[in-house]
Amino acid sequence: MANKLTFDAIVVGGGPAGTSAAITMARAGLQTILIERGRFAGAKNFFGGVLYTHALDAVLPDWQSRGPALERPVTDTGYWLLSPDSVLRFTQKSERFKKVPAESYTALRANFDPWFAQQAVDLGVLVITKTTVTGFLRDEKGRVIGVTTDRPDGDVYAPVVIIAEGVNNLLTQQLGLAKSDLPPRFVALSVKEYLGLPEKEVEARFGLSGPDEGVAIDVFGDATLGLPGTGFIYTDRAGISIGCGLLLEQLVINNLKPYEILARFKNHPIIKPYLEGAERLEYGAHLIPETGYDRMPTLYTDGVMVAGDAAGMVDALHREGTNLAMIAGKIAGETAVEAHKQRNFSAEFLKEYRRRLQDSFVLKDLKQYRRMTDFLDSTPHFMETYVNFANEAAYRYFTAHGMAKRDMEKEIIRLLTRRRSFLGVAVDMIKLLRGMRG
Amino acid sequence: MREKKRTTLNPALAATLPPTNVDDLLVSVKYYVDEEYAHIRIKDDKVCADCPHRPCLDFCPAGVFTQDRTGKILVGYQACLECGSCRIGCPYQNVDWNLPRGGYGVAYKFG
Repeated sequence: MANKLTFDAIVVGGGPAGTSAAITMARAGLQTILIERGRFAGAKNFFGGVLYTHALDAVLPDWQSRGPALERPVTDTGYWLLSPDSVLRFTQKSERFKKVPAESYTALRANFDPWFAQQAVDLGVLVITKTTVTGFLRDEKGRVIGVTTDRPDGDVYAPVVIIAEGVNNLLTQQLGLAKSDLPPRFVALSVKEYLGLPEKEVEARFGLSGPDEGVAIDVFGDATLGLPGTGFIYTDRAGISIGCGLLLEQLVINNLKPYEILARFKNHPIIKPYLEGAERLEYGAHLIPETGYDRMPTLYTDGVMVAGDAAGMVDALHREGTNLAMIAGKIAGETAVEAHKQRNFSAEFLKEYRRRLQDSFVLKDLKQYRRMTDFLDSTPHFMETYVNFANEAAYRYFTAHGMAKRDMEKEIIRLLTRRRSFLGVAVDMIKLLRGMRG
Repeated sequence: MREKKRTTLNPALAATLPPTNVDDLLVSVKYYVDEEYAHIRIKDDKVCADCPHRPCLDFCPAGVFTQDRTGKILVGYQACLECGSCRIGCPYQNVDWNLPRGGYGVAYKFG
């Protein structure tokens, strides 16, 4: 073989975790290669979500001056409880959200991820696209010392590899760090449409005063036929992202087509007027690993660290993921820099990565919500029961029927107990509380 | 996972789902099709023949799995959105799913 292609560090995957790791290492002077299987970083990435500026600040403090590809700041956010004919809204709109930069922004990943990867390139990272990593190179003791790719003569060597391969963590499984494949009970399949609509029209429909305002809404209940999952609506600069995600096992056992659930959601009498005349510019699908703290893969081994979706770093309750990925990528990158200083790439040393994640919100939050997906999985009736009840109760509350209010209150209680016994309600609430308190 | 659980959905609610042709959605998706390598493959046709509910025909968001007149499952990998659901959702782990070769497959324009 000719010259071995050797770097200080290899990153697999050009999403938020991988690019954050690469930026962190390049800034510390490590010769870093980032290998991405798509035609460009972000080509395979698809989300219904937002990006958080606290994570951008941590990874790339001067990000604002680098012309980030973001859509709208989130200034109006919360939950809609959707029944078949009504909606109850729990949202907050606040002047406090209107600062520059905002806490979070909506984004389109085929725009944001390439921008983010370009910042890595500008800082000296070699980004190689259209290249799929297929396996690992090992030394005589079996320690990872590089990766194999599907390019001719595509072996790449480095003493440390950061795996940020995404939810389909085949490499993480290949190393035995993930003990099994993802269980369909704890993975959501999300489908989304990006609909084009003139900027002024987006603003008129969602009550936004200009491009410096935007909404991010989770929709519970009828959006997912009352099954465990959520619908979501985000405003983009000149468009709307609308989608829904359900636990994959629910689609399997009910023989459901995810795009029919989305079509039904879009057709809901409350939702439809927001979308009227909007043109579908793209449809797509992605898995979300809601596997939780207890089923996370091992995060490191000799010469390897795992970050982002590949490691199940998603807080489903707060729909956070990109920020966990970016912070984990940064910490993995910092650990690799330390490892180079000490010339020690052993699992024993890289354990530091996990220890530092434990001190950050990443593992603290994942630990706190460790029971959240189990809660959804074990109470499949939850969304339908309570969302529909809340809408019925609100309807009674907000209308006058010439009925004594005391009788109205009794009727509201009856609406609940018709759906679920007092004991059932108590059990559901305890489970919800445990899901939220950990 | 054998299919231990079955449907939890009220049939009246299921009847409200609008029949949707997935091809109408997929025209909005950009692909670079690899004509030489199919990254999805059925491991054993006999397992599909004995599968009672065939959930892959429904849960795949790209409608990659269809059946011919004889009931054999066909794989239209060209339409794959690379979500990976079939790899983990098949109750018999009968789908061999790999990443497409570098540069091929879906390339989102917006994401």
